[in-house]
Amino acid sequence: MKRREQPQRFDSKRFDPTTLEIYRALYTSVAEEMGIALRRTAFSPNIKERRDYSCAVFDREGRVIAQGDHMPVHLGSMPMAVAAALQEIQIAPGDVVALNDPFSGGTHLPDVTLVTAVGGEEELAVGNGQLAVKSKSRRHPGAHPLLPTANCPLPTVLFYVANRAHHADIGGATPGSMGLATDVYGEGLRIPPVRIVRGGLVDEELMRLLLANVRGTTERRADFEAQIGSLKTGATRLKEIVERRGIDETRAYAAHLIAYSARLMRRTIGEIPDGEYRAEDALDDDGVSKDEVKICVRVKVKGESALVDFKGSAPQVAGAVNAVEAITVSAVSYVFRCLLGGDVPASAGLMEPIEVVAPRGSIVNALHPASVAGGNVETSQRIVDVLFRALHQALPGRIPAASQGTMNNLTIGGIDSRTNQEFAYYETVAGGMGARPLSDGMSAVHTHMTNSLNTPAEALEYAYPLRVRAYRIRKGSGGRGKQQGGNGVVREIETLVPARMSLLSDRRRLAPYGLDGGEDGSTGREHIIHKGRARAIASKGSWQLEARDRVRIETPGGGGFGKSKGKQGR
Amino acid sequence: MKQPGKRLRRVRVGVDTGGTFTDFVFQTEEGLRVFKIASTPMDPSEAITEGLRRIVELTGVSLSAIEVVHGTTVGTNALLQRRGARTALVTTRGFEDVLAIGRQARPALYDLHAVRPAPLIPDELRFGISERVAATGEVLEELDERALQSLVGKLKRARVESIAVSLLFSFVHPEHEQRIAEALAGLGVPLSISHRILPEYREYERTSTVAINAYLQPLMSAYLNRLKMHAPTLRVMQSSGGSISADVAGEEPVRTILSGPAGGVVGALRVSREVAIPGIITFDMGGTSTDVALCDHQGMRMTNEGSVAGMPVAVQMMDIHTVGAGGGSIARVDEGGSLRVGPESAGAQPGPACYGRGLEPTVTDANLVLGRFGRAWLLGGEFKLDEGRARTALTRLASQMSRASGRRVSVREAARGVVRVVNTNMERALRVISVERGYDPREFVLLPFGGAGGLHAVELARALRVPSVIAPVSAGALSATGALSSDVVKDWSRTVMLEGLKENYAKIEGAFREMEREARAALRLEGFIGARQRHERSLAVRYKGQSFELEIKWARGVGGGGVGRNRLAEAFHQAHRARYGYAQEANHVEVVSVRLRSIGIVEKLRVARERPPPGKVRAAASREFATVYFTEKPARAHLYNRDELDAGTRLHTPCIVMEYSATTLIPPGAEAFVDEHGNLIIEP
Repeated sequence: MKRREQPQRFDSKRFDPTTLEIYRALYTSVAEEMGIALRRTAFSPNIKERRDYSCAVFDREGRVIAQGDHMPVHLGSMPMAVAAALQEIQIAPGDVVALNDPFSGGTHLPDVTLVTAVGGEEELAVGNGQLAVKSKSRRHPGAHPLLPTANCPLPTVLFYVANRAHHADIGGATPGSMGLATDVYGEGLRIPPVRIVRGGLVDEELMRLLLANVRGTTERRADFEAQIGSLKTGATRLKEIVERRGIDETRAYAAHLIAYSARLMRRTIGEIPDGEYRAEDALDDDGVSKDEVKICVRVKVKGESALVDFKGSAPQVAGAVNAVEAITVSAVSYVFRCLLGGDVPASAGLMEPIEVVAPRGSIVNALHPASVAGGNVETSQRIVDVLFRALHQALPGRIPAASQGTMNNLTIGGIDSRTNQEFAYYETVAGGMGARPLSDGMSAVHTHMTNSLNTPAEALEYAYPLRVRAYRIRKGSGGRGKQQGGNGVVREIETLVPARMSLLSDRRRLAPYGLDGGEDGSTGREHIIHKGRARAIASKGSWQLEARDRVRIETPGGGGFGKSKGKQGR
Repeated sequence: MKQPGKRLRRVRVGVDTGGTFTDFVFQTEEGLRVFKIASTPMDPSEAITEGLRRIVELTGVSLSAIEVVHGTTVGTNALLQRRGARTALVTTRGFEDVLAIGRQARPALYDLHAVRPAPLIPDELRFGISERVAATGEVLEELDERALQSLVGKLKRARVESIAVSLLFSFVHPEHEQRIAEALAGLGVPLSISHRILPEYREYERTSTVAINAYLQPLMSAYLNRLKMHAPTLRVMQSSGGSISADVAGEEPVRTILSGPAGGVVGALRVSREVAIPGIITFDMGGTSTDVALCDHQGMRMTNEGSVAGMPVAVQMMDIHTVGAGGGSIARVDEGGSLRVGPESAGAQPGPACYGRGLEPTVTDANLVLGRFGRAWLLGGEFKLDEGRARTALTRLASQMSRASGRRVSVREAARGVVRVVNTNMERALRVISVERGYDPREFVLLPFGGAGGLHAVELARALRVPSVIAPVSAGALSATGALSSDVVKDWSRTVMLEGLKENYAKIEGAFREMEREARAALRLEGFIGARQRHERSLAVRYKGQSFELEIKWARGVGGGGVGRNRLAEAFHQAHRARYGYAQEANHVEVVSVRLRSIGIVEKLRVARERPPPGKVRAAASREFATVYFTEKPARAHLYNRDELDAGTRLHTPCIVMEYSATTLIPPGAEAFVDEHGNLIIEP
């Protein structure tokens, strides 16, 4: 018997430390290059200036191997998108599948994920001859696109790459698709996993259907093209790596990276004292009723594994703050990733030792047809808050006080009088970071589940009929303490044309908590300024603005840490 | 011995200040001469003065006949260590916190304890003033004169040493900044005005650049004035590659942030032109960091998206990518069992274990244990290395690696692991400036320099499939050579934001003419007239809707180099396709800025007399050998002294080529010969 032809069984202990490090760098750089290609070619400020996107590399089983340092809320939930795409469609190299359906791999509608398969084409065989895969046929014999063969990748597929970008509009009742609908149908266009590119060619009919349902079609189309181009970049790089290093090693080390992340995570959990840690926190309201929306967690740590159970959290609600399960998993993954520290591959291994229980039909695992626009951006932040609050009991010297706990989502849309074209603009506004046990919280930064940039005033005013009137630090908004919470910001934007404005924000009533005797951060607030007179408005909703009206958002400060001893708040 | 009859009238000297050594290169009748002396980090001008004194002795010319071109790290270090001036900032009201907010992102995604560098200018020294200009240049709110008077009073009371002014859209309507500058002139402190230093959009990046300039201005001009007492004719390398007068550098120090590394790239470019190779990737490996850059047929690649010490610097500078890995990078095994090298560095203090003070295993120690230096010394024997200490440090690392992998890892295997990992980090850096920017490394030549570049270059060339490596003479002093050979360069730019070309041709032409008038006058002031001036036009272009521009060279009037008015769109589609793989021919092309690069041409270096091209290639003889571990098994490598290698010599491989300032390692399987300029040409 020739042993060499037997596929080697994967043994997570048999690896070379040097080669492991090399692959960590290689796969991460693929994801990063994809991000750069996307940013440099996209049209909407939300992608090119604010970088509201993420890119990742997956093995042929759909397990994530590496990600760029992009948006945490995307990174933790993209594996579910790829899984859903593979569940529905057998993706061949040259195909690109798009999806945004929150109930099939998506999170909220504006975040559209594109997935493609890598490898299997002839040029791959040209390399050093190490490639086993030389099949010319594009489809697995017997496989038909209409007969999904779940979890059975084409034999020619070596990897998958995916990116997710937040589109500035995806249809629905309000420009920017971040308004307050009471079901997912009102929120915009729902895209189940479908091929947007087949055999290298964009499906123009499907594209027409998509573009007919969104505002700002030129910008949308360009952003889709940029996403497709970014996938190409990733695929090319991966093929080069395979060509250079051989498919066996490339695959084995993808698996080693996953095992490596899992090992590090087990160690981290092992250092948390065994026990059960409970906490609760709440969203102010869902924008429809005035009731608080409670989130409860019980973290049970035993040895090197953890159970995170959200039993007791509120049932899903009418307003758009419902989180699908992917978001909850993403938030849990983020929190544990923070405990780990260091420069670790963000691979599928990280979640191996962690079990998440999110009751079906609850605010943390909402079911169809819930409205979900804010689940991704607001509820995800509260899940992080409640988890850190629980973990503070276990690791009192390491956990920071609550950060602003909201992304302050602002969307404005209308007709740009300069071009007579529709426009839709979306942004999120930074706030205060919670104080850390040993240092003040940062001011005016995005925290936890997002890290998108701002749009420079000088870029925004070229792009849209909008004008930034003020953008400054909101002094004194950070919670006082031995370590001070970071301050929020004040941002004031004027519209030059009549426009529809939507706001989705939180921590307007329930303040970001302080820890260890530190004071809470200030809650946020917002006003519409009409002819010089300011009028307070609710944290969630849509309003019609007249030309020259302004909206002013004051974002929450972070909580303080420890009792202050005469140290003055800023 | 001095020979009065042969005295040179004038000597030009390139000086580069590094962390450990200050390098001097100067022109003699016989060619270039190189020496290094220990740096004086407290005041770098001391080492320079000392070196110049030595040149006076060697050449017999007086100090006043010496012209110095200086690559300096004074600005960068002051920024890193926050030793700049007490600086104030004036902004449009409502935007006082632009430096503190930045782009609102945190520096590290998963680090709960990360901190952002504090703004360069504190809260109480940032002042807003009532005024507002729209994107179109329309004045929405006039500058409030009374507020201006009160601002002058406040700044006077604040006793600031330097002032930055950056108003919104100042690049389309500079009048408000001009009036503020006039009003502040009476305070007698240096002013950094945004529309003069960087007339381009994106307020945070522009304001950061102007603030850095203001922050460094007093310190830099004091340093240069001190130096000028010893070197009356002083020029400074700027980050974009040319040299500027000490006075200009003192006024606009933000242009010198990459002064040192830029000298290296210029030096590398000179070597590549000499051998007529258009595309190179430079690889400057030092003790704590490594600088890499790419030059194509158009010369060095520029960027305006650079950053230093976590703060954006948006003036044109060379697209030099720096990674925190070098000879001093420390190796360790992390908790998950992976071998990591850097970013922690033993630096110059305590330095690698083999320098005699440190304990941690570094890249230099790994190179030494593997025999890759040839001899256990540097600088031609002036600097001894302790091999025993290197071995002890790596033995500890090997036992950690054994524990992680469950099998015995030898010291040499550990050392080879360190070299492979650091090479991977370097490879990643080289990819950032090539593949990530849309360039295929297979179309370039790798040009290593710095003390350690030649030790890793051939292996990196193999990994990136670069077809050849050129190791220049005196690679350890290439930055100083580059400074010496640099032309005087000045960059001008203006944001115009024009859609469509044909309609706006006159506007573009007008903007260029205006800039050229200014540029010609500025170069005249620096002593360049007539044919010693050159002005290159380019346009920053993008598709309407995008945020990032590509630079397209623009022909002056009719004829000349670059793209003419009718072919701009076409040239842009082509460039976009080359960079990103597709073009959008139906879309509008937008001209964002017009840019002008003005060059004052300096006289060319006279390198050592050219050796006659060899009639016949012959193999070099070497009597010495060293044991090198390229694999588990020892290999016998030839040891060459570079000074003894004649042009046309083919080297036996594997081999190690040693010279005063650098070492080049050529592994088995590679081929190498010496060209007529003394460069080692290596086929990996």
